[in-house]
Amino acid sequence: MTLTAACPKTEVARTRKPRRARRTLLVLVAPSLVLLLLINAYPLVYAALQSVRDGSLINAGDYVGFENYRATLTSPAFWRSVQFTLIFTVVGVFGSWLGGLGLALLLRTRIPGRTVFKTLLLLPWVVPVVVSSTAWNWLVATPQSPLPSLAQALGLGTPLFLADPVLAKVTVCVFKVWISVPFMMMLIGAALAGVDRTVYEAADVDGATRWQQFRHITLPMISRSTYISWILMTIFCVNDFPTIFLLTGGGPVDATTSLVVLSYRTVFQNFQVGPGVAIAFVMTASLVVVSVALYRQIRKAHV
Amino acid sequence: MSPDRGRWWRFAAILLITAVVLVPVAAVLILSLRPGVASGSRAAFGLANFTHVLTDIPTLTWLGNSLGVTLATVAVSVAVAAPAGYVLSRGRSRAVSTYSLLLFVVQSLPVITAVIPLFILFARVGLVDNLVGLGIVYVGASMSVAIWMMAAYIDSIPVSLEEAAWIDGASLFTGFTRIVLRNSLPGLLSTAIFTFLVSWNDYLVAIVFLRSQERFTLPIGVQTFFQQNGTDWGSVMALAVIMMLPPIIVFATLNKHFSVGGIGGSLAGT
Repeated sequence: MTLTAACPKTEVARTRKPRRARRTLLVLVAPSLVLLLLINAYPLVYAALQSVRDGSLINAGDYVGFENYRATLTSPAFWRSVQFTLIFTVVGVFGSWLGGLGLALLLRTRIPGRTVFKTLLLLPWVVPVVVSSTAWNWLVATPQSPLPSLAQALGLGTPLFLADPVLAKVTVCVFKVWISVPFMMMLIGAALAGVDRTVYEAADVDGATRWQQFRHITLPMISRSTYISWILMTIFCVNDFPTIFLLTGGGPVDATTSLVVLSYRTVFQNFQVGPGVAIAFVMTASLVVVSVALYRQIRKAHV
Repeated sequence: MSPDRGRWWRFAAILLITAVVLVPVAAVLILSLRPGVASGSRAAFGLANFTHVLTDIPTLTWLGNSLGVTLATVAVSVAVAAPAGYVLSRGRSRAVSTYSLLLFVVQSLPVITAVIPLFILFARVGLVDNLVGLGIVYVGASMSVAIWMMAAYIDSIPVSLEEAAWIDGASLFTGFTRIVLRNSLPGLLSTAIFTFLVSWNDYLVAIVFLRSQERFTLPIGVQTFFQQNGTDWGSVMALAVIMMLPPIIVFATLNKHFSVGGIGGSLAGT
């Protein structure tokens, strides 16, 4: 599987019995369609209805129009969450992209034990978030934890990685990048594998510097995967719950409450279903706009 | 600088990066092997934490729940995604491309939007605090990407193979099962690994849907233990090791078959 364009699609209708063929296709796609309607479409419609009502988890409540949306959009907590979600997403997407690109480029060169490193570096992504967040908690949570102790020994004071609002934001973002770099590394590595090496040889002959080769050959050749990786990672970051919730629970004092965390808390801790769903919807709408914009970029970047 | 020297510099760099990156994982392993104060053991290393969590806590039940839900999810996802991926790869009508775009949109929706209504629906039909309900949500959550991965792999199988079979009088369905499926093992494995990770590593759905301790999956089990006994790191880390072993084993054995590249390829092909 490579990142090259999909094979030209063939007309199945070329079989001798087109109607039967069409029916077969329908049968083959039916199970996924049923599940899509039940697990994805139905909840969406139901949530849309909930967002204009004042119901709870047990009863449907009364119609309140756009009150939930108005309350959401005028609440300072919502805008603080928007701000943190943006920071988290931008740092998560570009941090992991840069890290993944760097590692993929490094691992493309001849290095002893390359495959071993490739596999070991996947671990942050493979290990369950519950496990890695536990480990990070142990490393940074209290003043007696290893990392703050180390900082103290080096005379840097005692950083409270999860108790200081600014530092907590930084820690959560770094944690997200740590988890996501392997995914980017795999995606970009697959794209780099598809780049023809003879192009570089030709560039060498023409006297192009390493930077020029990177800027004018490598980057354009992997531009499509780059856009794809940005789209996927944007979706992963905006929708992320466990990475943030397990490390900080959204705290200290809501400093790391992203929109998903805010939505979760509103529904399952404050039991306000309508406002909680309204938050999720505002978020989803923005996400779809961003995805579609990036999606167009992919199509433009056809090499 | 000779090329050989550059090679060793790069080796040193990657070694250092890997070492730093793996500190948290190493911490889990080391702490799990250090007997806690409670055990009274004086050895520097030992399996006391593991015997403790395996005998005094319902760890085995949680492990069984996690394995059961995950394996069922993988089986159902692959069975649903393979035929759908085939249709996405070979079909050419407008309906097919619309479906593909629909899957993309669904994938970008946050799980939380689906979880809230599903919780309300499942509460009515008795699927809350139920592992079957959990599995159904996992299948739905991983379906889009699973279908893309299958479609991307099937794209790489030449259609001429099927065409030859059709000329010999085989039906479309026979062509799919006998030719495409038989040649799709790497694609099926990638999809299986992906759904395995989604289901095994999930926290959000499980924390919402599971209520009673005997139905917990490992991530939820660890959390409760972690909150009650915040300082007993040895036991927490032993549980963490038990939880991270299956995905590591899966990846170590099947890594060469796994490719996330397919997701992107299929996404761009719609």
